[in-house]
Amino acid sequence: VRVIVRVCACDCVRVIVCVPSLCEDLLSSVDQPLKIARDKVVGKDYLLCDYNRDGDSYRCSTEYRDLYFEGGVSSVYLWDLDHGFAGVILIKKAGDGSKKIKGCWDSIHVVEVQVRAGAPLPVQTGINNVNCFYLPNLGNMDMENKIRSTLNEIYFGKTKDIVNGLRSVQMLADKSKQEALKNDLMQVLSQRSKQQS
Amino acid sequence: SADFPSQATGDVRIAANFVTHAPPGEFNEVFNDVRLLLNNDNLLREGAAHAFAQYNMDQFTPVKLDGSEESVLITEHGDLGQGRFFDPRKRVSFRFDHLRKEASDPQPYEGETALRSWRDACDEALSAYVKEHYPTGVCTVYGKTVDGQQTIIACIEGHQFQPKNFWNGRCRSEWKFTISQSSAQVVGVLKIQVHYYEDGNVQLVSHKEVEESIVVTNETQTAKEFVKIIENAENDYQTAISENYQTMSDTTFKALRRQLPVTRTKIDWNKILSYKIGKEMQNA
Repeated sequence: VRVIVRVCACDCVRVIVCVPSLCEDLLSSVDQPLKIARDKVVGKDYLLCDYNRDGDSYRCSTEYRDLYFEGGVSSVYLWDLDHGFAGVILIKKAGDGSKKIKGCWDSIHVVEVQVRAGAPLPVQTGINNVNCFYLPNLGNMDMENKIRSTLNEIYFGKTKDIVNGLRSVQMLADKSKQEALKNDLMQVLSQRSKQQS
Repeated sequence: SADFPSQATGDVRIAANFVTHAPPGEFNEVFNDVRLLLNNDNLLREGAAHAFAQYNMDQFTPVKLDGSEESVLITEHGDLGQGRFFDPRKRVSFRFDHLRKEASDPQPYEGETALRSWRDACDEALSAYVKEHYPTGVCTVYGKTVDGQQTIIACIEGHQFQPKNFWNGRCRSEWKFTISQSSAQVVGVLKIQVHYYEDGNVQLVSHKEVEESIVVTNETQTAKEFVKIIENAENDYQTAISENYQTMSDTTFKALRRQLPVTRTKIDWNKILSYKIGKEMQNA
């Protein structure tokens, strides 16, 4: 995974060097690994992505803690729309490098909240809690759970199956004998159960 | 970009780089995409020809000579230059088209006769092993003098390309040892690459280096020991990869992102929200 992440960032730059006109399209449609920058004023880390890129600089924002990640860095950037607001929620968690395994989880959630005319507005209590009102809906990032399960069961499982289809630890002759024996057994068993019934 | 020579050279180098990193079975797709980006077919063909050759040799690309049931591998060890390669089992050299992946113009090629009996013995033993463990495997064994040492070089390749099911995979291994002395080191490199891209994009890229000692006696006995070393190492490697998947699932992946919080229940955002608002109202 680390190899692919590293190659991806370089590949994007290489394509842009060849075809500069694709620059904006590429950067906005290809998800790069999230980069971490430091806000020296507040003394906190924040994440960079296309949404808070302004020319070549980035704007910093507040963090939300997330019980799912037990650490990591998160950043949220919100901007006004005509009838509501939109935002991006970024989370980056790197493995601690123990047990000789390296890994990194980046997630980019893009949300759009539309406020319909006539909808009841949250009561202002003198604190700027408009965004908090929508938090239960935004925070329920079910998609991420689904993706994580899919990654674990389907993607990793499938690549393992492909590897075991390229080569067999068990000798192929033995494997086919085993298959034949299994089929014979199943035939005998099903015949026997037919006779008994 | 043809107007600026240095720019063109840089672009072709980038194009060539993309091509050499194409996953197994996807060379044509990457080549066609790169062709569109570069938009200069002559430049691509001339500037990246070496990249196409390098890719096929790196990948141990199998090819069948006309009328033959068996394949031979395209590798650096069989490279004769001028676009020609040789098959040490059939003792022929041939022209290889790197874009079409086709062999033509076979000519007799004797290779190094002094090593022939060793090469043949190892090839026979290895072919039997490959048949037993690789559903679609191919092997090519060379007997060559390298840096003054008489060396046996064995190359194994197995692949499955199923682009209609959005996956491709290939494993390669290369094993060498010298026969000049009675005690030698068998050195091996094993590589696996799998790409699965149905509604997503996952690659497994793995390699392992192996070193084992071997006693060199006669052709038949040594070939048997050689293949035993290969079989054990490749079995161990494949088993380790399967075990790694389990470890990765149980530990690393979990450490990156849990399925549930430590509390074992999904976050209750309404609770957090009311707590947060309550706290802010207290402090106001």
